[in-house]
Amino acid sequence: MIVGIRGVVKRFGAVTAVNAVDLTVADGELFTLLGPSGCGKTTLLRLLAGFYQPDAGTIRFGDRVVNGLPPYERGIGMVFQNYALWPHMTVADNVCYGLRLRRLPGEEVARRLHEGLRKVNLVGFEARYPGQLSGGQQQRVALARALVLNPDILLLDEPLSNLDAKIRIQVRAEIRRLQQDLRITTVYVTHDQEEALSLSDRVAVMRDGHVLQVGRPRELYERPRTRFVADFVGTNNLVPGEVHGVDAHARGDLLVRTALGPLRAIADAAVSGRCVLAVRPENVAVGAPDAGDGNRVAGTVSLVSYLGNTLRYDVETECGLVLKADIRDPWHHEPLPVGRPVTLSFPASVTLALSDDA
Amino acid sequence: MRSRRLAPALGLGLIWAFLILFLIYPLGRIFYDAVTDEAGRWTLANFHDFFTDRFYLRSLWHSLILGLATVITSSVLGIAVAFLLVRYDFAGRSLFGFLTIIPIISPPLVGVLGFTFILGRAGTVNVLLMDAFDLLRPVNFLYGIHGVVLVETLHLFPMITLNVVDALGKVDPSLEEAAESVGARGFSKLWRVTLPLTTPGYVAGALLVFIWTFSDFATPLVLGVQDLLAPQAYLNIVQFVDRRIFRMGIVISALMVLLAVLFLLAARHYVAIKDYSSLSYSRIARRRLSPLRQALVVAFLSTLLLLSFIPYIGVTLASVGRGWALTPLPVAYTLQYYERVIVETPKFILNSFLYSGLAVAICILVGVPIAWLLGRSTVPGRGALDAVNTLILAVPGTAIGIAYIRAFHFDLPGFDRGLTSFWIVMPLVLAVRRLPYTVRGSFASLLLVHPSLEEAASSVGASGARTFRDVTLPLIWKGILVGGLFSFMTSLQEASAVLFLALGGWESITNGIFAFYIAGSANEAAALGVILIAVAAISVAIINRMAGTRMGGVFG
Repeated sequence: MIVGIRGVVKRFGAVTAVNAVDLTVADGELFTLLGPSGCGKTTLLRLLAGFYQPDAGTIRFGDRVVNGLPPYERGIGMVFQNYALWPHMTVADNVCYGLRLRRLPGEEVARRLHEGLRKVNLVGFEARYPGQLSGGQQQRVALARALVLNPDILLLDEPLSNLDAKIRIQVRAEIRRLQQDLRITTVYVTHDQEEALSLSDRVAVMRDGHVLQVGRPRELYERPRTRFVADFVGTNNLVPGEVHGVDAHARGDLLVRTALGPLRAIADAAVSGRCVLAVRPENVAVGAPDAGDGNRVAGTVSLVSYLGNTLRYDVETECGLVLKADIRDPWHHEPLPVGRPVTLSFPASVTLALSDDA
Repeated sequence: MRSRRLAPALGLGLIWAFLILFLIYPLGRIFYDAVTDEAGRWTLANFHDFFTDRFYLRSLWHSLILGLATVITSSVLGIAVAFLLVRYDFAGRSLFGFLTIIPIISPPLVGVLGFTFILGRAGTVNVLLMDAFDLLRPVNFLYGIHGVVLVETLHLFPMITLNVVDALGKVDPSLEEAAESVGARGFSKLWRVTLPLTTPGYVAGALLVFIWTFSDFATPLVLGVQDLLAPQAYLNIVQFVDRRIFRMGIVISALMVLLAVLFLLAARHYVAIKDYSSLSYSRIARRRLSPLRQALVVAFLSTLLLLSFIPYIGVTLASVGRGWALTPLPVAYTLQYYERVIVETPKFILNSFLYSGLAVAICILVGVPIAWLLGRSTVPGRGALDAVNTLILAVPGTAIGIAYIRAFHFDLPGFDRGLTSFWIVMPLVLAVRRLPYTVRGSFASLLLVHPSLEEAASSVGASGARTFRDVTLPLIWKGILVGGLFSFMTSLQEASAVLFLALGGWESITNGIFAFYIAGSANEAAALGVILIAVAAISVAIINRMAGTRMGGVFG
């Protein structure tokens, strides 16, 4: 089912939590709302669920305008951050509650209960109470409770944030697998960019009630359109600068004046005047020979962080700006000592010039 | 959609109507009387009369001293007991923990009677002392301000203990560990870190102790102390010698309300007294004491509890003893007094149960919706609702009783009598007095139900009413029941407001105790007292079973 959000506004007193948001979620898509706390992502999800009503704009599920409908008339399934399992009911009662409200026949309820628990690998836990389950199990019960109703739309509000790191990755994969199997339109809220990138079809990055950019995970990571997105999704070296020309010979590279000296960059949108350059640490080479067309910056190693699968250098440049550079294969790399002068190089093709929205 | 907004608004309207009619109007009425003369003209003459009368001034002064002295003595005992119970492990700790709350459930009127049987002029102790040492005159343990302080302290120190135990249970151990990590230890840690963290709980308890003592008239009257505000208010109203004195009774009760509210505001300014949360308790590592220290602790607690249990012993003996005069113990035992109050005149017991049952029903009907409005809705005026609810805790029962007499004596339309001539006034006044306990109990239970539990029900198809029935109610009914039972028990024991509103033929147990005692039939009074104690003991046993150790939250 397609979800259409048009010009939706939600205010709480003087605060505008969701400000004129337009989004379309495609049928069967896993769509993530990503942003820091207070960006309005949870408010938007709760507007979809019907716990809040918008102050302006329309929300459509398919052809149906759902503004003003209470949650129980919207055909949604919701999974909450704190699981929200009813502590006085068993796993079976939790999962079946919605089915019984719909007055389904007994054998149908039993069949759907079994099917629902099978989907989340919890068959055999019917008689347990939520207090007797681990966090991961509780969240899977919550997922089963939402799915047995065959909802048109599945809404997930930070479902993994209360879980341990290992369990989180496991449940994350499970959610993705289920969503793919059922082809259910899903809206997922998280503040964890890695989670968003790993399981979404598309992601909307939000800040201060606005949607800044919508795109597939790879687009967001490789082609952020604003400084905020570049900074929030993954790690980026950000260098403020000013565009002062275009190099007609070299594929139209922008020439940008920065505190590190003149640098070359590319841009997707037209950028002029003040801008910010974004370079991922994994695209910065340490001590590589001059290939001729790249940006080169001199500095000294100020910090070495060993992270297992990468080794990250913080390199302080002459102007005081610190750039991060990653060694992707520390197994075969002899770390440089702190204080060692090095040259950093990064080609223009990985140096993005962005409008500065900070 | 419309009905979802309309229902809370309608409920809110009914709740306010109840509060305005049965709380704000009567209180407003005595304040109006206090600042007007017989002709209804605005005047300060009444207060002028009060503050130029040496006797009244002395009464005010004595009342303040009494309240303060009781707070100090019960704080010393209460805090000491709380620390021993929470922080240390010793033989019989959990038994002492249970016994400590017993004194507070003793009905106030019964407590003082029990003391007189044992420590009075002709009480057991004096008889023994006079025989042993050939004293010519009995030792005056009780009659005078010191006796009031003694009786009130032994009755009320658990109020402090409960609040401090509750607060100590919620002090995060890491805060104390942090204090130790920067070098604070022993007394310095206690004084700078631990005690300040428990002040909100302590101040709430101390305030209740103060207001209770300040507004209790029955205890001083039984102990022959009249130069206090509350007894003066009672005597002026009940004796009704002339209109001027009656009006002075009203002025005194207005003054008592004013002072109580001032103390409440001061306390609230100092700490957030409306901190309802009784949610997270941290695990506490108790220190095991050395055998010698254990013996000292056990001796201290046993002595304290023995003193606190004096009234129980006294009342129980008096209820079955005959010919108990100038002998240490009764000379003969009988059940005739029970027969008299249970079989011959069962009205006291029947009326009390009827009134208290109705009062609890009203409390739940009004209080649970208030808790829901405070905890779940966004209707305007919630702050005021909260304030009124806290105000009730501070308003002395004496003043409420007087306010009802003053406000509801006019003839009701269609009747030639006022509301005060109908027995229904008793459950109404009890319900108003106990409302805060229901609201707090329900609110605390509601806090434990995360709103997402209700939203989850809504998301799978349950309507608002259905959600309340299937999710909210099953999770909070225990809290409501515990609050209700507590209200029931304390309604049975209510002595202050009820004593003013006693109606011939419709008396409650406490009316009976007071009347029997005044008429010299102390044994019948004692028998009724024992019945009250028995009901209280059963109630507390059930409450403890259902609520674990969370009783502090209800008192807080």
